[in-house]
Amino acid sequence: MRFEAGEMSQQTLADKVGVTRQTIIAIEKDKYSPSLEVAFKISNVFDVALVTVFNYN
Amino acid sequence: MNLSYKEKGLIASLGVTLLIFGWYLYGAFSNLSLNSEPVGLAKIISLIVWFVAFEATIQGFLALKNESQLEDERDKLIERISYRYSYWFLCACICFLMGQILLVAWLDYPTALTTPNGMFHLLLLFFVLGEVTNFVVQLYYHQKGF
Repeated sequence: MRFEAGEMSQQTLADKVGVTRQTIIAIEKDKYSPSLEVAFKISNVFDVALVTVFNYN
Repeated sequence: MNLSYKEKGLIASLGVTLLIFGWYLYGAFSNLSLNSEPVGLAKIISLIVWFVAFEATIQGFLALKNESQLEDERDKLIERISYRYSYWFLCACICFLMGQILLVAWLDYPTALTTPNGMFHLLLLFFVLGEVTNFVVQLYYHQKGF
């Protein structure tokens, strides 16, 4: 998703969402499930629906 | 290994805690006996001053080297989990200490560890170990994730 949004770096996404780069790394590696607030912020950055970014398996 | 500001801070705190309190407790337990001198207030204050000075210097140095010192929800969650582990660890240690006191009272068999001096150092050791547990659990969860 980051690469589709103009090769956005993990640090840029972290700054826009207000979390650390380590949290973005953990979310991408499926090691951490973010709060709803952070999940909404991430989907807002990419301007897509929440379910486009996150899904529950 | 790419460590975050938080992880570097934790490793520094762990190192300082082990170094300062480890050095003090090693000396204290080596010289502990039934007739050992009670611990002086000046020694405890100097220990705390050394610890705060080391910790502040290292944390200050780390803060200068790292631009982002942001603490987010994941850090707070990890902190809460680690406090829970260190709380249970400390509870177990306190139970052990209470058991030891009762055992000595029932058996009427005093040891160097059950003197006020020994008790003080044993309690200090447990608090230090509780803090070490806190740091180690935080480092583990920062590396492993959830």
